[in-house]
Amino acid sequence: MALITQTYLSLLSFWSTLMARTGNKNIQAKLVLLGDMGTGKTSLVLRFVKGQFYDYQESTIGAAFFTQILSLNEATVKFDIWDTAGQERYHSLAPMYYRGAAAAVVVYDITSMDSFIRAKRWIQELQRQGDHCFLTILFIDLLGNPNLVMVLVANKTDLETKRKVETEEGERYAQENGLLFIESSAKTAQNVNELFYEIAKRLAKACPMPPTGIKLHNETQGGRRLFCCTG
Amino acid sequence: MFGTQSRREISHEFQPSMQYWKPSIHTRRANIVVKFQDLYGFTVEGNVDDVNVLNEVREKVRQQGRVWWALEASKGANWYLQPQISSISESVASLKLSSVANSIVLKRLIRKGIPPILRPKVWLSVSGAVKKRSTVPESYYNDLISAVEGKTTPATRQIDHDLPRTFPGHPWLDTPEGHASLRRVLVGYSFRDSHVGYCQGLNYVAAMLLLVMKTEEDAFWMLAVLLENVLVNDCYTPNLSGCHVEQRVFQDMLAKKCPRIAAHLEDMEFDVSLVATEWFLCLFSKSLPSETTMRVWDVLFYEGAKVLFHVALAIFRVKEEELLMTSQIGDIISILQRTTHHLYDPDDLLTVAFDKLGSMTTNAITKERKKQEPAVMAELDQRLRRLNSIKVDDESPSVSPVAPR
Repeated sequence: MALITQTYLSLLSFWSTLMARTGNKNIQAKLVLLGDMGTGKTSLVLRFVKGQFYDYQESTIGAAFFTQILSLNEATVKFDIWDTAGQERYHSLAPMYYRGAAAAVVVYDITSMDSFIRAKRWIQELQRQGDHCFLTILFIDLLGNPNLVMVLVANKTDLETKRKVETEEGERYAQENGLLFIESSAKTAQNVNELFYEIAKRLAKACPMPPTGIKLHNETQGGRRLFCCTG
Repeated sequence: MFGTQSRREISHEFQPSMQYWKPSIHTRRANIVVKFQDLYGFTVEGNVDDVNVLNEVREKVRQQGRVWWALEASKGANWYLQPQISSISESVASLKLSSVANSIVLKRLIRKGIPPILRPKVWLSVSGAVKKRSTVPESYYNDLISAVEGKTTPATRQIDHDLPRTFPGHPWLDTPEGHASLRRVLVGYSFRDSHVGYCQGLNYVAAMLLLVMKTEEDAFWMLAVLLENVLVNDCYTPNLSGCHVEQRVFQDMLAKKCPRIAAHLEDMEFDVSLVATEWFLCLFSKSLPSETTMRVWDVLFYEGAKVLFHVALAIFRVKEEELLMTSQIGDIISILQRTTHHLYDPDDLLTVAFDKLGSMTTNAITKERKKQEPAVMAELDQRLRRLNSIKVDDESPSVSPVAPR
């Protein structure tokens, strides 16, 4: 019983850390970017965080970290962004980066069918991670987040002439799996800010905070919902 | 384009230009950011203080050069080409006294830095690359390159993808000639060891080797000796298992050598491998200024992979107080990034790495690796099984991949 209580309490603290570290509509959210090498993960982040774009962006090793703050009417969202390496063998490092994430952006390149297949794998792994977390929830700390906001991003729309993955294909997969779907171009900046705004809105919606700060019963509700979603 | 002349000389010379960079009237104020090229041709952005430090480093490099030349004059041109103690299995007693004395002198000298002009010769010798090359026919590299010309593999496709993404903007690396050289070295190695093939990160390592070694063939042999002898096994293989082991060993060492930082990071649930993975896989080439990276590699090739731990620990140690004040993961990362990018004076880092952390023997590290290996392998294995179960789902896409609740 003591163990369960403790786990429950740590869940509560996790929930409040994840969704509202400082309370009062200030949301701090960990966001992870996943996807095949060269799909434009770093370019999307750099476009969002610094407004920059390079035709040849240095390949990421391990992962890179960025932060950016977005102000919405309903909340201020501070993103802690982990931009991961895309090469298949770096896959074994990924759990370290997506553990505890509030949002996951899975990117593919519209000119590469392989990258779309890889994106589907990522999504399945993330979904599986949520289940895995439910099974081990009482024994190990919380590894995944069942309320994870997931976005499938079809990047490089500036290369329309070389397109190999049709919009409908990505859209259909996203719909079937309950994901947000956005087609973007880090190069032209098309839909890049929209992508992060959409995530911020979802996070704010998932986390209705009273303007006067966190009350215990609100946290309890959050905790219950967490159980509810997984159970 | 892929000619096979016996020694491909890299035409573009990156001899350290010993000209001093003089801050102009416009850059007198330290907070003005200026751009300039460092010893290896990389564009550096920094303030006037950074420029001054780099000028001091250039002067120290020249002084160090004089020390090496003086030793050559007194001991003979190739005095350091003798086998090192660690590579000899016979008892120490059987070694000549002069050899022992030389290796002590050499160790001390190398920690103070090898002059850039001597680096190719000294690296080839002390790392064991010369010995490695002597076991194959002289035409090995050219034969290999000719044999693999025109072949396409997953590795070559990934290499091609990364060529323009390896230090973009560098005045030699980012030219058709630079890309072609880097490609030959990486593709050649991917065929030499098809288990490693190509691992992202090696592109940066090979690029730096090309800048230092001047010939492609020498860069290739340095890459080979690095992966096959200097570093721990399986660092770059498909599951990066060696790299995972090194990260765990590093965590353990941080707890021993910098217990306050380790405890603080643990409280914040910050896993050091979030930042240290890139350091270990790129051997600091993406984080430290080029001459500082090369000074780390000087010692790495002579003393072995334990040097990476020394340097990584030193980076945490030099910013200990600042790191202890952090309360956000973003702050830890930005402190570490700012620190590594500005370590223009290699001695600032290496003094801490080798004089302030106490000893770390290769034996102790080997023991720690053996201890960590089973857990790493079990974790990777478990993960692989889980991923394989996902692949089954992939074959029947109509079924929702979310397990029934």
